[in-house]
Amino acid sequence: MAKVLIPTPLRQYTEKHDSVELTGSTVGEVLSSLTTKFPDLRKQLFNDEGKLRSFVNVYLNDEDIRYLKKDATPVAATDTLSIVPSIAGGSAGVAPPPLVSLSNDEILRYSRHLIMPEVGMEGQRKLKAAKVLCIGAGGLGSPAAMYLAAAGVGVLGLVDFDVVDFSNLQRQILHGTPDVGRSKLASAKDRLSTLNPEITIATHEVALSSQNALELFEPYDIILDGTDNFPTRYLVNDACVLLGKPNAYGSIFRFEGQASVFATKDGPCYRCLYPEPPPPGLVPSCAEGGVLGVLPGIIGTIQATEAIKLIIGVGEPLIGRFLIFDALRMRFRELKLRKDPDCPVCGTHPTVTKLIDYEQFCGIHPAPEPASVQNIQNNATEISALELKERLDRGDTLKIVDVREPNEYQINRIPGSVLIPLGDVPKRYQELNPDEPLVVHCKTGGRSAKAADFLRSVGFKRVLNLRGGVLDWVDKVDPSQPKY
Amino acid sequence: MIAHAEAKFPNECCGAMIGKIDGDVKEVTSAEPMENAYAGAQGARYELRPEDLLEADKRARAAGLDLIGIFHSHPDCDAYFSKTDLENSCPWYSFVVLSIKGGKFDHANSFLPNAEQTAAEKEDLIWPKS
Repeated sequence: MAKVLIPTPLRQYTEKHDSVELTGSTVGEVLSSLTTKFPDLRKQLFNDEGKLRSFVNVYLNDEDIRYLKKDATPVAATDTLSIVPSIAGGSAGVAPPPLVSLSNDEILRYSRHLIMPEVGMEGQRKLKAAKVLCIGAGGLGSPAAMYLAAAGVGVLGLVDFDVVDFSNLQRQILHGTPDVGRSKLASAKDRLSTLNPEITIATHEVALSSQNALELFEPYDIILDGTDNFPTRYLVNDACVLLGKPNAYGSIFRFEGQASVFATKDGPCYRCLYPEPPPPGLVPSCAEGGVLGVLPGIIGTIQATEAIKLIIGVGEPLIGRFLIFDALRMRFRELKLRKDPDCPVCGTHPTVTKLIDYEQFCGIHPAPEPASVQNIQNNATEISALELKERLDRGDTLKIVDVREPNEYQINRIPGSVLIPLGDVPKRYQELNPDEPLVVHCKTGGRSAKAADFLRSVGFKRVLNLRGGVLDWVDKVDPSQPKY
Repeated sequence: MIAHAEAKFPNECCGAMIGKIDGDVKEVTSAEPMENAYAGAQGARYELRPEDLLEADKRARAAGLDLIGIFHSHPDCDAYFSKTDLENSCPWYSFVVLSIKGGKFDHANSFLPNAEQTAAEKEDLIWPKS
């Protein structure tokens, strides 16, 4: 016999009893005993389809059954069930999304959804009333936005400020070859509105920042994180926690992807998993390390799946679970995640209560002064592609060290350069003469700056970093070579 | 209730009303302010956490009293029962709305939504006045 506490106004239907002892081994069975015993309660608690009315929450002791096993939650004789309404409101003319209806065209379009009981008319209406914001219209954002648009998410927001590059096309399937050079958002909007003209595509052509994130996220129900860098990832996480909006998270690198749902009411957030970012440079970006083109297709569609499940309210969301996908071995692994009570943003005593400077948090400092200024100070640490070409043409003795990986060296290179990948520099620097002038370079100048710092620290006096890397060399000096 | 509503101005406040029911008369003996849990701008919206309501109900039961209703404020507008209020309410409780204008209490009304939440009947609301 479990005890069910009856709210005061409902006691008129329970012969004035304020609590009732009932049989049943699950919440569903106990509630069924309750409405069998007091049939007038049925329409107070359940809708015509026999589901709990939208405002009715059932608590088993102190826990909402939605976060347990819903109707199937086991009930012991010592347990107490409480019926608690959800209550909200406000003076606002901004009423909650009205129960939208579907046109005949829409019913045909979504028919494969509608015939499944888990979605049905109600689920499809929820999708139409939903607003999802995709951060990034790139690798992850492409498949996610396309499937969300196709599924009929009523308002699909996109944040990006980049333009389509040839090197994007290997994976960013929102964009086509004729879109190269166009804004990613203009290209995305064209593609998505062709896919589904019934929905609204809201484009936000800005760099997401601590200044605009809360305002941008505010109108949306779910945020889909398709970012490719740590400062933005922490920014998205913190803004989601502060606003109480779920974050459908995904990330990709080479052959491996990760996905989870963060920042739900009782679930963990990204910071519960990773309180601090890795030191800058430790984890290479996709631009540095590469990524299998199809990988974002898998992870981005997982993110879209989770967003759709959250909207419809079916299944088991990827909350408190961290999914790791390995494309080479074709395996999924799942780690359990717990909400960290000491989490700086979603813990019991948060220290992060507003958005911070995420570049600084991730240890990324503003770009150094341009080398020309430093040259004037006669303290040169950098050299430009044109200066290097000039000095080589003059016959200056310059050793050029390429610190990229061997497969990058196969794509393009500066003639006469030697290859010592960044990771090998500490054990191979003795191959170099510390008194000889050295120029180090990589793809764009980041890795080689680290190599230059290291070489100086071990006594090399004349080390110059090639500003803009081999890409600038190809642009300015040798356009016959390919770029990547 | 008034003090809480004025303190939260220009945001909406919310809370629970505890008291006794005697026939058609509901008497509020104490009001429990609760946190407005609405995630967005709270100038014209409020949301109660069901957990807070569950706790209030437990305390009321322990004291031999009843949870009889919910109150919230409308900053700088009248104490009507808006469409938002109606759709996000529940049919079982009395809903008192306090109009707070320029940070000061102006007037209040009580509403009882019908079972289908399609309309709310205005209830007589009386309180001692100075």
